Amino acid sequence: MIKWLGSSKATPFWFLAPVIAFGIIFFILPLGFALFTSFTRWDSLQPPRWVGLDNYLYLLTSDRRFFPTLFNTLYFAAGTLAIGVPLSLGIAFAFTQSRFQSLWRSLYWLPMVTNVVAVAYIWIFVLAPTHGLLNRLLAMAGLPGPGWLTDPSIAMLSVILVFVWMQLGSNMLLFSAGLNNIDESYYEAARLDGAGTWQVFSTITIPLLRPTVMFVLITNLISGMSYFTLMLVLTEGGPLGRTTVTALYMYEMAFADLRLGRASAVAYILFALVFVLTLIQLRFFRQGGVDAH
Amino acid sequence: MNKLTTSKLRVAVSALALTAAATSSVFAQDTKTITIATHYNDEQIAPITACFEAYEAEHPGIDIVHQQASYGDFLQTILTSRVGGTSPDIYNIYSIWAPQLAAAGALEVPPQEVLDFVNANYADGSVGAATIDGQLWGIPTELSVYMLTYNKKLLAEAGYDAPPATWDELLEIAAAISKRNDQGNLTQAGYVYGTTVANATHPFYSQMYSEGVSPFNEDYSATNFTSPEAVAILEGQRALFEQGITGPEMTTDDFPSGTVGMYIAANWLKSTYQDAFGDEFEETVGIAPIPSSRDDWGTMLYSFLWAVDSTSDVKAESWELLQWLNTPQDGLSCTGQMLNGMGALSGNIADLGMMDVDDEFSQAYVEAIESGAAQTQPNVPQAAEIDRVLRSYIEQVWAGNFSAADALAEADAEIQAILDDAAM
Repeated sequence: MIKWLGSSKATPFWFLAPVIAFGIIFFILPLGFALFTSFTRWDSLQPPRWVGLDNYLYLLTSDRRFFPTLFNTLYFAAGTLAIGVPLSLGIAFAFTQSRFQSLWRSLYWLPMVTNVVAVAYIWIFVLAPTHGLLNRLLAMAGLPGPGWLTDPSIAMLSVILVFVWMQLGSNMLLFSAGLNNIDESYYEAARLDGAGTWQVFSTITIPLLRPTVMFVLITNLISGMSYFTLMLVLTEGGPLGRTTVTALYMYEMAFADLRLGRASAVAYILFALVFVLTLIQLRFFRQGGVDAH
Repeated sequence: MNKLTTSKLRVAVSALALTAAATSSVFAQDTKTITIATHYNDEQIAPITACFEAYEAEHPGIDIVHQQASYGDFLQTILTSRVGGTSPDIYNIYSIWAPQLAAAGALEVPPQEVLDFVNANYADGSVGAATIDGQLWGIPTELSVYMLTYNKKLLAEAGYDAPPATWDELLEIAAAISKRNDQGNLTQAGYVYGTTVANATHPFYSQMYSEGVSPFNEDYSATNFTSPEAVAILEGQRALFEQGITGPEMTTDDFPSGTVGMYIAANWLKSTYQDAFGDEFEETVGIAPIPSSRDDWGTMLYSFLWAVDSTSDVKAESWELLQWLNTPQDGLSCTGQMLNGMGALSGNIADLGMMDVDDEFSQAYVEAIESGAAQTQPNVPQAAEIDRVLRSYIEQVWAGNFSAADALAEADAEIQAILDDAAM
C-alpha cells in the first residue's frame, strides 16, 4: 500500500486529495449524518434515540402541515420557473440586439449582490397595504390596493415576483452567455431566407439554446424547491401559512421546535422529490435533443 | 557609593522583588473566564457591563465575557454552542425554554444558597416562572405582563374617556376609532394584532386568564382550549375582523405611530412608546386591565431567568457572580439597573421598590403583579411549538375559515398530540 502511494498511479489521487477530503467532510458526512438522524428522535441536547421510520410515517400520514407546505413549495418553484425563465430569456435576447449590453447586464445583476434582508425590507416598503409605494400609486390612479403580502390568495405570487426580480440578473447572464455562443452565421442565413425576428428567435435561438435552458431550469428548480430565506424575512410564512414552504417548515421544526430527527426526514423527502423532478426534466430535454448539442 | 545610597538601593530592589512576586503570583493563578449569553444589545446591557468591570476589579483572576444573540436566534445559538462544546457558562433565557433545557440536563440546579436567595427576595409570580415541577432553575430577571394598551387621544376623539372593561365595550370603542381609505385599507385601527406568536397567542392566553381559565390543566397534560370561555374569547376576536374593525394591513408595530386605538401588549415596550411619543407619552398611552366578563380580571406574565450551564467548569463562580449581579447594593442591583433603563420590570422585590415605576404606565403593571392578577405563563414542554400551532388556528378564525369552536377543537387535538409525545 505504502509502495502504491508513492507510485505514479497514486499521483492523481494526491492532487485530488484536498477536493476529495473537502467533499467527504462537507458533503458525504453531513448527508450520512442527516440520513442517520432522520431515523432518530433528537433534540440536540440529549443523545439521539432510534425510532426507525417513525419520522417518515408521521410526516406522510399524520402531519397536517407537511403536504400544504409541499404544495406551497411546488407552487413557488413552478411560479419562479414559469415567470422567471421566459422573462430572463426575453430580456437577454433583447440585450443582444441593443447597445450598452454591459451596462444593462450590470444593472440587472445588482439585486444579486444585495443582501436578501435588505431586499425584503425594500419590498415590504413597496408592497405594504396601506402606506406601501405600489398601493399609493394605485390609489392615485383610482385603483384598489390589494394586500400584496397580507392577502392569502396573492401573497405567494408576490413572493414569487420578488424572487424573480432577485434572480433575473443571474439567469439573464447565463442566457447571454448561451446566446453569444450561437454562431452569427445561422442568423445571417435565416435573415437571407427572409426570416423575421420572431422566426429567428423561435427556430434558431431557442433550439440552439436548449442546453442553457436545461441548465437554467434545473438549477432554478433545485434552488426554488429548497429556498426559504425570502419567505422568512418577507412574510414569516404567512398569511395563514400560504408562504410556508417545506424548507421553512423544516427550519422551524429543527431550530425552533428542536425536532432535528423529523426535520432531517423532511430534508430527505424534499431531496427525493427534487431528484425525481430533475430526472424528469433531464429526460424531457434529452428527448428534445439536448444530447446532440 | 555611600551607605545611605546602598540602603536605598536595597530597599528599592526589595520593593521591586516583592512587587514582581506579588504580580507573578496573581498571574500564576488560572484566570477563569465566565461567559454570559443574553439577548440584550450593548446599549441595553451597558449597566451590567459596568458591573462586570467592577466585579473583575474586585475578583482578580475572573474574566467576564458577554455574548449577545438576537432574541429570535437565541435558542438556536445555545443549541449550536452546546453541540460544538462551546456553551456559555451563564444564560439569560425565556422561562418557556427552561423545560426542554432542564429535561435535557442542560441546566445546573442552583446551590441551596441561591435557592434561598431567590425564595427570600423574589415575587411569587417570577419564582413560579423559573420553576419546573417544583424545581427552581435560576434567578428570575425581566418580568413582562400583558395588559390592554390604549391610545387615550384616539379614544377621546372617538368620544370615550375611559378604556373598555368588557369585550363588547372594546368592540364598540374600536369600531368608532377605525377608519379606512378609498381603497378599503385601514388607515386607523381601533384594535390590532401582530405577526408574531406574542401578538396573537399570548393575548389569547391573557384573555383566558381574565375569564378565569388557565390555558392548560394543572399538570399540563391537557389544554382548556375547548372550554366555553376560550371559544367565546375567539368568537369575540373574530368579530373584530368580521366587522372590519381590524385587519392584517395594520399591526401592533403601528401603535407607536399613533394610528392604533388598542391592543394587548407587554410592559417592555415602554421605552419604545417614550421614544415615539416623547413629551406626549403620558397623555397618549394608557394601560388598563384585560377586558373581561368578570369583575375579578386576570392576565399572563412571563419571565426571563439567569441560569447556569450544566457543563460549565466555573459553576460556583457563575452562581456567585449571578448572586452579586442581582443583589441590590447602594440602590438597584446591576440587573435592576439594566431593567430600569429599559423600562422593564424586575421580579426582585427590592429592585421593584426602587425602580421608576411611579408613573401611571408602570404602576398599572406593578399592581397587576402585586395583586396576583398576573399569573405565570405555564412552563409546558414544547411551548414555542404549541404557541405557534395555536396561532395558526387563531389566524384561521380571524380569516373566517373556521368557527372558533372548530378551530379550537382542531388546535386542542394537535397540541394534545404534542403534549403526549413530549411525555413519552
